[in-house]
Amino acid sequence: MNDFNQLGGASRFSDPRGEYTKLAQWLQQVMETSPLEDSEDKQASRAYKEVNETQLELLLDDNYHIQFYQQLPDFIMGLLTNDPQATLRYASLLYHMVGCSECHSAYLDLYDAMRAAVQPEGMRVSLGQGTRTLYATPPRMLAHLCQTLISQAEEVLRQARRDHVDNDASARELLQLALRISSRIAQSSVRRQALQDLVRVATLFEGPTAPKQEEPGVYAYSPTFAGAGGMRRAGKRGVRSADILSRSNEQQEQPMIDLQAHSLEGNITQNGQTLELHLQDLDEALRGHHISISVLLGSLIEPVRWRGGNPLAIRSINTVDASGSLVVPLGETDLQLSNPEERNLLEAMFMLLEVRVAD
Amino acid sequence: MPFTARDLRYNAEQSYPLLYAYLHRNAQRYLGALKYDAFEVDTVIGHVVEQLVRLGLLGGDDRTSLTALDRLTDAQFYTFLSRSVRNKSIDRLRKRRLQVSTAAELESMESDEGEDHPLEDAVESVWGTTPFSTPEEISLHLVSQRNLRDLLKHCIKALGAAPNQLQAVIEELREIGADDLLKDVGEELHVSVSSPGPVNPHISQHKDHAHKKLRNCLQQQSTNLTVMIALRLTEYKNVSSQELSSQKVSSDMKLYTVDIQTLAQKDLSEDEVRKGLNGLVTEGLLDWHGEDVVQLTTTQMKRLTRFYKEEE
Repeated sequence: MNDFNQLGGASRFSDPRGEYTKLAQWLQQVMETSPLEDSEDKQASRAYKEVNETQLELLLDDNYHIQFYQQLPDFIMGLLTNDPQATLRYASLLYHMVGCSECHSAYLDLYDAMRAAVQPEGMRVSLGQGTRTLYATPPRMLAHLCQTLISQAEEVLRQARRDHVDNDASARELLQLALRISSRIAQSSVRRQALQDLVRVATLFEGPTAPKQEEPGVYAYSPTFAGAGGMRRAGKRGVRSADILSRSNEQQEQPMIDLQAHSLEGNITQNGQTLELHLQDLDEALRGHHISISVLLGSLIEPVRWRGGNPLAIRSINTVDASGSLVVPLGETDLQLSNPEERNLLEAMFMLLEVRVAD
Repeated sequence: MPFTARDLRYNAEQSYPLLYAYLHRNAQRYLGALKYDAFEVDTVIGHVVEQLVRLGLLGGDDRTSLTALDRLTDAQFYTFLSRSVRNKSIDRLRKRRLQVSTAAELESMESDEGEDHPLEDAVESVWGTTPFSTPEEISLHLVSQRNLRDLLKHCIKALGAAPNQLQAVIEELREIGADDLLKDVGEELHVSVSSPGPVNPHISQHKDHAHKKLRNCLQQQSTNLTVMIALRLTEYKNVSSQELSSQKVSSDMKLYTVDIQTLAQKDLSEDEVRKGLNGLVTEGLLDWHGEDVVQLTTTQMKRLTRFYKEEE
């Protein structure tokens, strides 16, 4: 085969025997990825999207290839500056784009935008001006940013696993950023939507796991997601034992995080700096026993000094009483449940709290 | 205060509202008839925001490498954002089947604002307007450029460990008449490629496995580094006797030496060069044990040259 001008582009050579054309067609067949190579969770994600058309969807959730996508700006700049080494330096990316329509489409988008940016003439757009805060930004767009950051953290973790490297710190920081931004969302339903994938992605730090099944004897609590402020009158629910009701009267207007595990309820209140978990109506099998509490996202952000030092194994000081109630100090924090933003941050941290017998 | 790419990278929480406001203004500008549709406006903004996160810019901090986007001037970066919004807006308009009227709207609007022909007003690179605009164009370029085709050759050669899969690919290449490529592979692996082999009843299965392996190999950065280093080892032999010293060891054997810095040039790190060299060691093309200077015998150089660099 004869060589061709490195900068000539594919259109500038002759191919009388059609050898290159046939070889190129064969290469395309080779590089096309069959849908069967999509993982099951990606297929499930696609199915979820199809039934949630009104939600702002992520563009690249299904077929996002982080290692190639993030090479695009430098590759494009190489082309725009006529770097003769650009195609060789990014040959793997080029081969990838033959079979990946998502990355190729992103390339075309970025190429056009970057070309417009570096063009020497033409009108320059005005700079962004003004002072804006996250509170002035629509909650739906904050939620979308949170979802994107969480999805990005997931891809960082998956890519690190494929490359056999540890990139937990990067993924963790993306999740922390998502958490901090979500705390500015006042509406609980939007906040819930923003963090819908948080627990699933945060548990990927432990490596690939099978879909979590409900373990017998384990009570998985999650927040009921209060609205702005999270203030409510404790004890508004129907069935309570006398002592709980009595304590509830003292706690009127006390900010708290309501938790629920199926029909079971609980809440987290703050006493000074101490966060306390209140559980009621626990199963008879737990009564008279110490319990162990696992705050699955407890180490994701670190504003809480957990009792015993490990948020995944907080042992109750007392045993569950005869009525199935228990109060467990979880740890100390400088955050205040009375501050809406800090309360939202704590609520996100308690997105999954598991209770089991400690013995 | 306007925001910058640096702000988005290092102060995402503070600069996101400013980014949002800027994108919002542009989305309304480009969405034409849909500019009061809050969902459409947010969708356009969301796509650009997602792009910035995925690229490792928004909220990337020092966790991701700086890219060409970080090196744009502020004005260039704003143009980049504005153009991205414009492209996403056109996508949405097309999706809502409003493209006919809005394309005209877009043009007239942009003309009013000073951009005479925004779609044609591009940097004229040697690649033309938009290089690699289709997968067909990319694949044609990959197989027609010697250096890029070398990756394909390299990966086909790697199939040598699975003879049935290699044979399946050889049969395919023979059918399409890729004779020169076949000849190179055949010589390197000492296999016959001239005539069809006996029909293998599981050929289809072997072909599928071979394609999967080729896909993986061709997309590996390590493959690219191995081929790049192989090429540089062969190229520097011819380039300069100062950069590549050769000394007479015996009457029939020269010893070529190239240092790692020379192989790195300006665009590769020392670590990348070492990865590439390790790839060649794994293939048995080189004896190298991590030294700063790579040594090759005449035989090794000939073998590299034969496979990775066609005779001039």
